[in-house]
Amino acid sequence: MNEKTMLTTLDKVKLNQSAKVVRLLSTKNEIKRRLLDMGLTPGVVVHIKKIAPLGDPIDISIRDYDLCIRKDDLKQIEVIVL
Amino acid sequence: MRIALIGNQNSGKTTLFNALTGSNQKIGNWPGVTIEQKVGYIEKDKHEIIDLPGIYSLSPYTIEESISRAFLLQEKIDLIVNIIDATQLERSLYLTTQLLELNIDMIICLNMADTFAKKGISIHKELLEQKLNTSIIEISALKKTGIQKLIQCIDSQNYLKHKPLKIFNPNIEKTIQYLEEKISEPNKRFLSIKLLESDPIIEHAVDVTSLTKPLEKVYGYDFETIIASGRYAFIEKIKKETFVRIHHGDKLTESLDKVFLNKFLAIPIFGLVMFLIYYLSVGVVGSLTVDFVDGSVSQFSAFMFDLLKDLGAHDFSASLVSDGMIAGVGAVLNFVPQLIILFLLISALEGSGYMTRIAFFLDRLFKKFGLSGKALIPFIIGSGCSVPGIMATRTIESQDERRISIMLTPFIPCSAKLPIIALFAGFFFPNNSGFVSFSLYMMSIVVILVSALIMKTFFFKGQPSSYITELPNYRIPNFRYVFRDVYERVKEFIDRAGTIILLSSVLIWFLSAYSFRLEYGVDVNESMLSYLGRGFAYVFYPMLGDLSWAASVSAIQGLVAKEQVVSSLAVIGGLSADITQGNIILNAPIYQFFTPASAYAFMVFNLFSAPCFAAIGAMHKELGSRRKTWFAILFQTGLAYLLATLIFQLGTFIGGIS
Repeated sequence: MNEKTMLTTLDKVKLNQSAKVVRLLSTKNEIKRRLLDMGLTPGVVVHIKKIAPLGDPIDISIRDYDLCIRKDDLKQIEVIVL
Repeated sequence: MRIALIGNQNSGKTTLFNALTGSNQKIGNWPGVTIEQKVGYIEKDKHEIIDLPGIYSLSPYTIEESISRAFLLQEKIDLIVNIIDATQLERSLYLTTQLLELNIDMIICLNMADTFAKKGISIHKELLEQKLNTSIIEISALKKTGIQKLIQCIDSQNYLKHKPLKIFNPNIEKTIQYLEEKISEPNKRFLSIKLLESDPIIEHAVDVTSLTKPLEKVYGYDFETIIASGRYAFIEKIKKETFVRIHHGDKLTESLDKVFLNKFLAIPIFGLVMFLIYYLSVGVVGSLTVDFVDGSVSQFSAFMFDLLKDLGAHDFSASLVSDGMIAGVGAVLNFVPQLIILFLLISALEGSGYMTRIAFFLDRLFKKFGLSGKALIPFIIGSGCSVPGIMATRTIESQDERRISIMLTPFIPCSAKLPIIALFAGFFFPNNSGFVSFSLYMMSIVVILVSALIMKTFFFKGQPSSYITELPNYRIPNFRYVFRDVYERVKEFIDRAGTIILLSSVLIWFLSAYSFRLEYGVDVNESMLSYLGRGFAYVFYPMLGDLSWAASVSAIQGLVAKEQVVSSLAVIGGLSADITQGNIILNAPIYQFFTPASAYAFMVFNLFSAPCFAAIGAMHKELGSRRKTWFAILFQTGLAYLLATLIFQLGTFIGGIS
């Protein structure tokens, strides 16, 4: 399997799966900046930990802590599923 | 020395601030930074320490980050104390790497050092110190260990002095250095990096695209990503060398979340928690204490009246003391036991980590109404007092959502509105007072959501925002902090009763005991206040069903402080009836016109109309615009008027046919 086919966005990754961040696609500067500040830099491994009872947002485990992000914003994070 | 205290949210910053300064604190205001900050003093005014907001980065996208950044750059700071949660070393050090770019000495406090073993981590402190070229002190803010060592270190200035730390790849460092040489202002390194990142706040005197373009091409990312990745790469490297995770600590948070964030249980549990908070404070404690305290106040009032008469005092001075002062202030002090319980429960909710979870699982719902889950925190804090609630909106990134949240926070029944609710619910719905109070609370949520939708659709058509927030671990609330918080809030309430409420009560007594010809002892219906209030009575007629000047002038006094409504009702009621018989306020003949429908409508009006002056002031400050503040006040009062009228008319209609 080549890498291209495994490229997806973080909202598609399932509960309890891990993924490696490739890049941020967001065009909105503030959101991109916030995601970078919270540690979502290229190469970092994240884990889908919890889904909020109403289905959104998603709690991901990253750099030893839990970060909640809406699905809309997860769409802006390109990842490879591990 | 002037010290700035900085750290991530939930890093224990406030606990450390309290441990360092004890009760030696005040609120400070700085010209450059328009928002108030807490200042404390260490060792009898020797060092001034400023508690900056909990932040993750010095990027300019949230108001709190902009404040902290402006403060560090504009104010002369001698030392930064950076508090770090070692269990989240990477994210904590991300802020540290940015602080290190400023030309300011720094001490790092490694917090919760006492729990490292339990949490399964071990840190090579000396090596980390060396890697960061910054002094590190292990502390436990909660257990107050290491605090003396920190104070000694500050006192002796025996810490490593600031030296720029080159953490990025050589080709990036070279570009930074090139820019630094062109800058004449202090904090060169910080400014250079911000210039390269195209930071929107820094003025772009130099065109950096010729510098950034080639590097962006080499790395394949934009410069902001390159810098953020560079910081995290550096942190990962030193973490590998200095940090060992032996095991993954306790699983308490995981287990608790299985229940509290359960797909089916989360919302019912939330409802139950909120219900219990209100039921306990208004229902149980309310019914236990209010009658008792109210009875005592009436007795005391009667006793003072007789005593003063026996001592030969004139009727009006005895009445001033018992009907004006004691009745007015006492009516408000009745509610102190309830407030203590309410503040205790809210503070515990905040300190335990459950509050962030409420925001997390209700975000989806709030998003539908154009708000973020984060708006829930101001609302819950606002059920204590709107002022800190309005200030808590600062964590909301989107400007429009923040403005909407500021305008809607006063809709939540704050503790000062509690006396109104408790008085009317207790008197007119004696068997269901808990449920009536709770129904008002639920109604405020519905009103907030609908108003948010109206505002988002018609007034603030901004972009949809995001929700990016940390989910902290559960923790046992720090009781010392909780009690202190509750003490301060209750003290403020009592202070207000002794000052502004006392003054207003005396004024109301004067206006309702005297006629325009300054005759004392006239019937209250002939008093100055009654004539002043008659015009307003027409305004309130649609929701009261009676031309009651007494209820109308009382409702207007809600602007001074919401509890003043009760105070005013008590003073006027006391003067209109024979107080020696220990009447409860609403038994006074002047309030006989109230029906359950008009009582409910009156509560609704007071709940949703313009908040007190203090909250209006907070709204004005946070909105930063007179026009928007007026908009908020008119929106709130208009809506309150409409709702109250609707409820009274409907309630009367239904009452009429049943």
